Amino acid sequence: MSYDSGFRPFDRREFVKRGMALLTIGSTPALLAACGGSSDSGSAAAPSSSAAAPKATGTIEYLSWEGYDIPDPMKAWKKANDVTVKPTYIGNHDDIQAKIKAGGGNYDLITYYQGYKPLYTELDILTKLDIEKIPNIAGLFPVFKEPDKRNLWIDEDGSWTGVPWTWGSIGITWDDAKLPGGVSSWDDLLDPKLKGKVGVINDPLGAFTLTCHILGKDPAALPKAEYSEIEDYLTKMVGQAKSVAPSFGDMTNQLVAGDIVACYQGWAYMNSLAAGAGNKTVKTLTPEQGAFSFCDLYAIPSTSDNVDTVHAWINEALEPVMNARVAEYLVAAVTVESSAAELNAATKALYPYDDLKLGDSTGARLAKLFERAPFYGMPPSASDEFITFSEMSENWEKIKQSA
Amino acid sequence: MTVVDNRSEPRLRRGGRFRIGPAALALPAALWMIVFFGAPLLLFLVYSFLTAQLYDVSGPLTVAAYRDAVTTDVNLTLAVNSLVVGVAVAVSTVAIGLPIAYWLRFAAGRFEAFVLFLITATFFASYLVRIYAWRSILGENGLLNSGLERLGILDQPLGFILYSRFAVTVALVHIFLPYVVLVLYAGFRPISPALVEAAQDLGANSLTRWRKVILPLVAAPAATSAVLVFVLSASDYVTPQFLGGTDGAMLGVRIQTALTGSGNWPLGAALSFLMLATFAACYALTLVLLRVLRLNRIRFAS
Repeated sequence: MSYDSGFRPFDRREFVKRGMALLTIGSTPALLAACGGSSDSGSAAAPSSSAAAPKATGTIEYLSWEGYDIPDPMKAWKKANDVTVKPTYIGNHDDIQAKIKAGGGNYDLITYYQGYKPLYTELDILTKLDIEKIPNIAGLFPVFKEPDKRNLWIDEDGSWTGVPWTWGSIGITWDDAKLPGGVSSWDDLLDPKLKGKVGVINDPLGAFTLTCHILGKDPAALPKAEYSEIEDYLTKMVGQAKSVAPSFGDMTNQLVAGDIVACYQGWAYMNSLAAGAGNKTVKTLTPEQGAFSFCDLYAIPSTSDNVDTVHAWINEALEPVMNARVAEYLVAAVTVESSAAELNAATKALYPYDDLKLGDSTGARLAKLFERAPFYGMPPSASDEFITFSEMSENWEKIKQSA
Repeated sequence: MTVVDNRSEPRLRRGGRFRIGPAALALPAALWMIVFFGAPLLLFLVYSFLTAQLYDVSGPLTVAAYRDAVTTDVNLTLAVNSLVVGVAVAVSTVAIGLPIAYWLRFAAGRFEAFVLFLITATFFASYLVRIYAWRSILGENGLLNSGLERLGILDQPLGFILYSRFAVTVALVHIFLPYVVLVLYAGFRPISPALVEAAQDLGANSLTRWRKVILPLVAAPAATSAVLVFVLSASDYVTPQFLGGTDGAMLGVRIQTALTGSGNWPLGAALSFLMLATFAACYALTLVLLRVLRLNRIRFAS
């Protein structure tokens, strides 16, 4: 999934950096091997209560969304430990693998959407975390720390390659002042009356995953013969749009400007962005038809040369109050159990935290949420039988032009 | 007008105890370009002939990426879009920039420095801010539609202006016009007003003065700035994303997607080199035209 942290949709510095990434992409992949050491000390057991985070010091080279480096809440910790975070912000999730595989830097800390786990494993981007050094993992809701096919960040051997720190669900986002009551299903967005008024984001994986869900397919194992159904639906949906927005922030701008009234693949965070721009009538709802959920994880890439400090940083980021403040800002959900009590009422009401405490998805509201909006994997990188990541991505370009 | 052959330009004179030759002066820049531009470009060229892996390349050498680049309908559509936008922006900026630069040189008088400052000041505004400014002008609830509605010219806003090839062209003309004006102003600068006055004294009307005197003198800088703007516009990948809509996408966006989203480095490299070859051909064609029209040798005596 691709989404914007939204502090700013894109800025000049970001474009310069992306331009540099294009230049440096010419570098040989062998450079990657020369980029520092990596932690390979996987741990199969949950951290003991007596475990402590390692001593932190030095610089953390961060590569992910602006805002996911939670600069303000972490300020005191960084000062106390004399740690400097050097951020590189992305405009699209794919920038992460593109920059790392191009050998563009010694990145220490990244985040990834859980669906990218198989791809990042194949690309050898992820390292196994030493969860003894992240004792706050013990505070996660049980549903996020138990081996489960949904929890792609926990490998079969019990080792972790990412720590969940926020999650949420995709929905229809609309401006209630322009479209009173919104729409009740994704299919309603195909109404000819909404021609040119629907927002679509340039996120091939998100669009593909959502459409697969709507049509009852598994995006991680979609037979090639069935892809035409996805393509047809997406072509119709893009045909309803005037443009394909480069980020969630930009799609929100279109909504606020009145150029569009509703969004395919919206996100509750857009409500917050729109409110910040003075429009308080933007709403988001996951329809009965469902959508997909995303879980974002902190991870240490193979390029890191300051592994202990990053473990300490992740541990600090899982402090309950910090986890709650970030969730409020992102209008997303917390992963730390005691953070739920720290949330304001509006953010707390978004997700069924009482069910999360059950330790599995047997709670009625949570089970219903995950049934309506599951965590999905992504298409395989190579397959003769199923649509691959590259095919999905390339076909998205075709869909955008043929709509 | 004094026409001077390029070949008659004076050579640098030798002299001084610590003389540094022209080659030595150019050496740092040359080294920089070789290391940070030439070498990566060469590597990128090799990538374009390798086999695509996901975010990686492998042997054997192949032209598959070039074949994909030129046989895929999407790429051809985007290439046409890029060429159309590039030509439209180049022609528009030169057409608008010529009279501005002429006025600055021959008619602005005491306002010349101030207007030049204003033109330069436009560079202070962020590229992205200017793109968003055009959104607020061309949008359905933007200044243009609102103004036309208030004047009673429109009953309902025109929804097709923004998110179109037209919007991309307008924004790029706005962004690149200052560059063109400055280049053309530099082209006009050596022209003595006496030349225009002489033509006038000899009976040439204003159209004839432009056609016979002014345009030949600024043909080279005009062509140079047109090529520069064409290259920058046709390869732009930011403006089309924000203003282009579904029918205004361009090849630059496709290259970006191939390199980052699809992880198909050979395809991204092949598209880049095809674009580079097109630009080089355009530049060569411009030089040939200037030479054929004998406009490439005109210089001015000081």
